[in-house]
Amino acid sequence: PAPAEAGRAPGPPDGGWGWVVVFGAFVSIGFAYAFPKGLAIFFKEIQDFFGTSYSEIAWVSSIMLATTYGAGPISSILVNRYGSRPVVMFGGLLCGVGMISAAFCTSILQLYICVGFITGFGLALNLQPSVIIIGKYFLKRRPIANGLAMAGSPVMLCTLAPLNQFLFDNFGWRGSFLILGAILLNCCVAGALFRPIGTGTAPVKTQLAEEGKDALKGKITEDGKEMSSALNVPMENKTEEEGGKDCFEKINQYLDFSLFKHRGFLIYLIGNVLMFLGFFAPIVFLAPYAKHTGIDEYSAAFLLSILAIVDMVARPTTGIVANSKWVRPRIQYFFSFAIAFNGACHLLCPLASSYTGLIVYSSFFGLAFGMVCAMLFETLMDLVGAARFTSAVGLVTIAECCTILLGPPIGGVLIDTFGDYKYMFIKCGSVMVLAGTFLFIMNYYNYRMLAKEEKERKTKEEDPKSIRTENEGRKNWNKDSTQDGPELEPLREEGEGVKKEMNGT
Amino acid sequence: LTVGVSRTPLQKNVSLASPTKIELTCKLEENSNLKNPQVTWKRGSETISHTNKTQNSWTIQLTISDSSQLGSYSCILKGEVEVSATFHLQVPHIEGKEKPIITYEGDLAVMVCKTEYVPVAWTWYMTNGTELVAINPSSHTNKFQFKRQSANVNRLEILKLTKEDNGIYWCEAAFRLGSSKRRFELRVLSIMAPLKPFVAVVAEVVILVTTIALYEVYSKRKEK
Repeated sequence: PAPAEAGRAPGPPDGGWGWVVVFGAFVSIGFAYAFPKGLAIFFKEIQDFFGTSYSEIAWVSSIMLATTYGAGPISSILVNRYGSRPVVMFGGLLCGVGMISAAFCTSILQLYICVGFITGFGLALNLQPSVIIIGKYFLKRRPIANGLAMAGSPVMLCTLAPLNQFLFDNFGWRGSFLILGAILLNCCVAGALFRPIGTGTAPVKTQLAEEGKDALKGKITEDGKEMSSALNVPMENKTEEEGGKDCFEKINQYLDFSLFKHRGFLIYLIGNVLMFLGFFAPIVFLAPYAKHTGIDEYSAAFLLSILAIVDMVARPTTGIVANSKWVRPRIQYFFSFAIAFNGACHLLCPLASSYTGLIVYSSFFGLAFGMVCAMLFETLMDLVGAARFTSAVGLVTIAECCTILLGPPIGGVLIDTFGDYKYMFIKCGSVMVLAGTFLFIMNYYNYRMLAKEEKERKTKEEDPKSIRTENEGRKNWNKDSTQDGPELEPLREEGEGVKKEMNGT
Repeated sequence: LTVGVSRTPLQKNVSLASPTKIELTCKLEENSNLKNPQVTWKRGSETISHTNKTQNSWTIQLTISDSSQLGSYSCILKGEVEVSATFHLQVPHIEGKEKPIITYEGDLAVMVCKTEYVPVAWTWYMTNGTELVAINPSSHTNKFQFKRQSANVNRLEILKLTKEDNGIYWCEAAFRLGSSKRRFELRVLSIMAPLKPFVAVVAEVVILVTTIALYEVYSKRKEK
């Protein structure tokens, strides 16, 4: 049928301008993750200046991190409405304004607001859209693109750390904040690169929607909800019967709460929330642990540098590995393995008491950390599909927000109570091994269920008794609905194993 | 206090704030090459008599009542090889910022001094040429402020900075056995200093964003 074909959305380019977008995302994600960590250099001076205690200063970091992750849903809603580009540019502007005003602060409370809230919110508006737009530009090479973009974090950290030290030695903390504000404006440059990519025009969508509604009302349950919410257009067809749910539908179109019924999404959410309890604490305590075992300050800092360098290399490499035809269909298993590997590293750390042992630990930790980070968003995209990813990432980050904030303080409490770092490592290690195992088992179950559903769908399609138009309509709708559709085509060529991904989306 | 003696010369710093009695002990490691060495305790050229507490440790007892008795005390063990260990008895050090403190005109400067033991008195000095001039808090209340954060942490705040406030400041902690000093360097910059790199970076951002926008318009026109 002509309308259905005219409405076929163009497939993701998987290259060309996409690589420029990856570079932009590299910068943007790099700032979002590395900037809060880089600020730690200024804390001692600010603590002396305002005469506060260490914990009051640490709140600046915590508020910043909490805002960056907690504002995820707001970021998602804005991207759903306006697209990635304006959101990132506004985010960059906000970060710049936040830091520049922080340079003129006269109390710690003002710092909480300027550095914590405003800059944190700006970084949140940077992080989510960058990850989202990669999903719009890539499909076949998406793991590589994700790996490369996420490599921005360690690279930026390695650049920011000495830069911050240089700025601080020459301009004091106020001057440094002023200049850092200007540097953060570079996020606007990254945002300018995020050219919007078409996802099909609105009139064609409504035509498809009506066709679908007539043919399939009542037949497709979850599938239907997936498609309609993916179209992101006010659906008049629903309001006919469910007049009372008008408001709910409107919220749903901006932030897809129906994701909470999506099996894959729930598995990912639970596994990741658990994992983040033990994810960041070892990095926070690595240098103090090294000093505790008698290593001097510079060698302890060197451990973190090793971690960052290995991380830098591990992320794109993991992206390439995850893109290969053996791993991509089973990428969820690879992700679970990476998490469990990370946990195993932490469990073995207390055995490393010498400096060489700690170097080995740092290298393996860097590798594991990079592997997990590179695939963090790729696996979510794989489970929910690029269309719903916008909302999914927002919901996931706000859920992770709590455990991310709790992780290091719980570790700190363990260290203070027992006076020994090994319990913190054991706690982090066991939490991550548990998360990895949980994800592995649940994804095995998920893959089996998806294979079953695919089989059922196939038998329905091949069944000559069922109304041909209805099924053709559905088949075409399957093919043509936004980004979900084109994903099926290139992947079908890759063989049986890949069909599992098709069902996953 | 004990020091295990092996091959390399050992040093240990001991901080003493007030008059006290102290015991210094040199102990030989169990699997050392030296057997039955000849032991002397010295301070400079002066020899001090010691006592043998156990078979492989030698102790001296000292009563430190004033600063003249502080210094370096060493135990020397002579046998086939000669090894020694030294105790440095000193007044407590002050911890503070080593690198120059950078502030801006009109802003406030903070210098913090911290010690292990509680001193008898704190004094702050500023340098006038080569002379040290003590800062009297009561005479310049709206310029200098002293704040005691705790007994062993002291804080000097200099308000309304000007270029003349550039220079070296000293913090002195007086103990019963002497006093120790710490040096701070204060640099007062004008607002123009960070403004130059700031404007440069903002200009770079504006240029890049404009270039990207123009390129996009150009390539869209090319398509049409």
